[in-house]
Amino acid sequence: MISPTWRRKSISLIRYFLLGVILIITTFPIYYMVMTSIKTPLQTYDPAIWIFRPTFENYLSLFENYRIARNLLNSAIITVFSVLSSLALGGLAAYGLAKYEFQSKETIAGWMLSIRFLPAMVGVIPLFLIANALGVIDTYGLLIAAYLTFNVPFATWMLRGFFEEIPGELEEAALVDGASRLQALVRVVVPLAGPGFFATAALLIIQTWNEFALALFLATNNVRTMPTVTSQFQTVRGVLWGEMTALGVLTTLPVLIFALLARKYLIRGLTFGALK
Amino acid sequence: MGEHILKPAVSAPRSRTTLEFWGFVAPAVIPLILLTIGTLVFLYWVSMTNYDLGTPLSSAHFVGLENYARLISGKDPEFWKSVRLTLTMSLTATFAELLLGLLIALLLESIQRGKGFFLSVLMLPMVVTPVIVGLVWKLMLNSEHGVINWLLARLVQDPPVWLGPNLSFTSVVLVDIWQWTPFVALIILSGLASLPVEPFEAAAIDGASPSQIFWFVTLPLLEPIIILAVLFRLIDVLKVFDIIFVITGGGLSTETLSLHAYRLGFGGPGWIGRASATSVVLAFLTIFISSLVIRQLQRSYRERRT
Repeated sequence: MISPTWRRKSISLIRYFLLGVILIITTFPIYYMVMTSIKTPLQTYDPAIWIFRPTFENYLSLFENYRIARNLLNSAIITVFSVLSSLALGGLAAYGLAKYEFQSKETIAGWMLSIRFLPAMVGVIPLFLIANALGVIDTYGLLIAAYLTFNVPFATWMLRGFFEEIPGELEEAALVDGASRLQALVRVVVPLAGPGFFATAALLIIQTWNEFALALFLATNNVRTMPTVTSQFQTVRGVLWGEMTALGVLTTLPVLIFALLARKYLIRGLTFGALK
Repeated sequence: MGEHILKPAVSAPRSRTTLEFWGFVAPAVIPLILLTIGTLVFLYWVSMTNYDLGTPLSSAHFVGLENYARLISGKDPEFWKSVRLTLTMSLTATFAELLLGLLIALLLESIQRGKGFFLSVLMLPMVVTPVIVGLVWKLMLNSEHGVINWLLARLVQDPPVWLGPNLSFTSVVLVDIWQWTPFVALIILSGLASLPVEPFEAAAIDGASPSQIFWFVTLPLLEPIIILAVLFRLIDVLKVFDIIFVITGGGLSTETLSLHAYRLGFGGPGWIGRASATSVVLAFLTIFISSLVIRQLQRSYRERRT
């Protein structure tokens, strides 16, 4: 007969073993991407090579032959402006929804939430045709505006949750002192909701930076962003895996940093504030 | 979300005017109306024309519901095939992610040390750029120089051709499962952490076995959380585009509705009218399914409350 202590120990061992397997499955593709990105082009076609002298030629090639710095800059510009404008518009709307009693405000909030569930293809076709007709295809402004579609509802829902966690008294005090609602928002609520703003910004950065479908059709050349550059590496000679994985690392790195910063709020963000 | 739908917001003095409310909300609502309702109306109009890519908009002729009739009547046989694929993918991926996610969450809940570390690792897949996820898996699943088959060759005689006509659909589903199972696991884990203690104590006093506690206490209490996870996964798989676009380009029996619309409109023929009709159908499908799940979610929250 097995003693209870041994039984408990072996169960715990099995649990950690299973989690170890899950850990390997979860991280392996990321590890393999990084590893392939520092192989020589010939080595990228040989999965049997695990230990080798690392090279950065794929990264150099991205900057020299593919002018990737330009795409990095495009992604950064579009992300920064879209996130800032979404925080401003979403912040105002979130304040209205959090602090006012208005008959159909839940309808407005619900409608904003429903935008989250619209497929990208539904936006791609009309935006592409309208932008073409107006001659604004492949411009920063177009992408920044297009991204408001899902960034503003997200910012509104997230910030509303944070605003509602702030006790009303402090704000009431400012109002009694003669501040306008807008002043109360800027001077009292926004500073108190600081962590909420940073978390919302980090999550907005991640989803904007990662967006693919709209960028593919609306940023066709000059303002092309990082995720859509990949199509350049599928040549007639096959896929250039070295450059491709190096691009993957460069695209993923900023996202992982922001995810780390907003770690505590990730699930809250990905469920639109439903889980805290 | 369920919380907001049901619970009235913090009460505020009534003297605040409707005008002030709109002053705050309008700057967000007006651009959103243009970007969503405006573009949807335009899309609906295009879906009733024979507009072709590359021609001026003025050359489009109104054809009424012809594009829809073509889709539904089976003159476009790929349409029904892609409806089937879309629904199959959405249901299988969601089911698998739910099952695996629940198991991972229970495993994590049961350990004492290293929880924070495992949580951080599980957050990785869901934030990695989806197209990059697709590309890395395309590299790993390659039948000649892919690492998966290099490993499998050590274990079995003939490793399968993952991205061939037979398995490409399965492969795409597997990639989605890799990326989103941790998301479901973390949702369920945070749900587990927020469960009330009393029902568990009561069950323990009544002498319930661990498996009885799981089936009759844990699972029913988790219902709203599980429906919430289902909502997000079901809809996000319905509209998936990035991963399939980079792995198969929509060919080889992986042409879901998004990819079907893409191919009709931009992948050669340039039939924007028909692509728009397909997109409208996809939009209605997602709206229909999400409203069904949201209603279930609200019912479940209400039952929890009473």
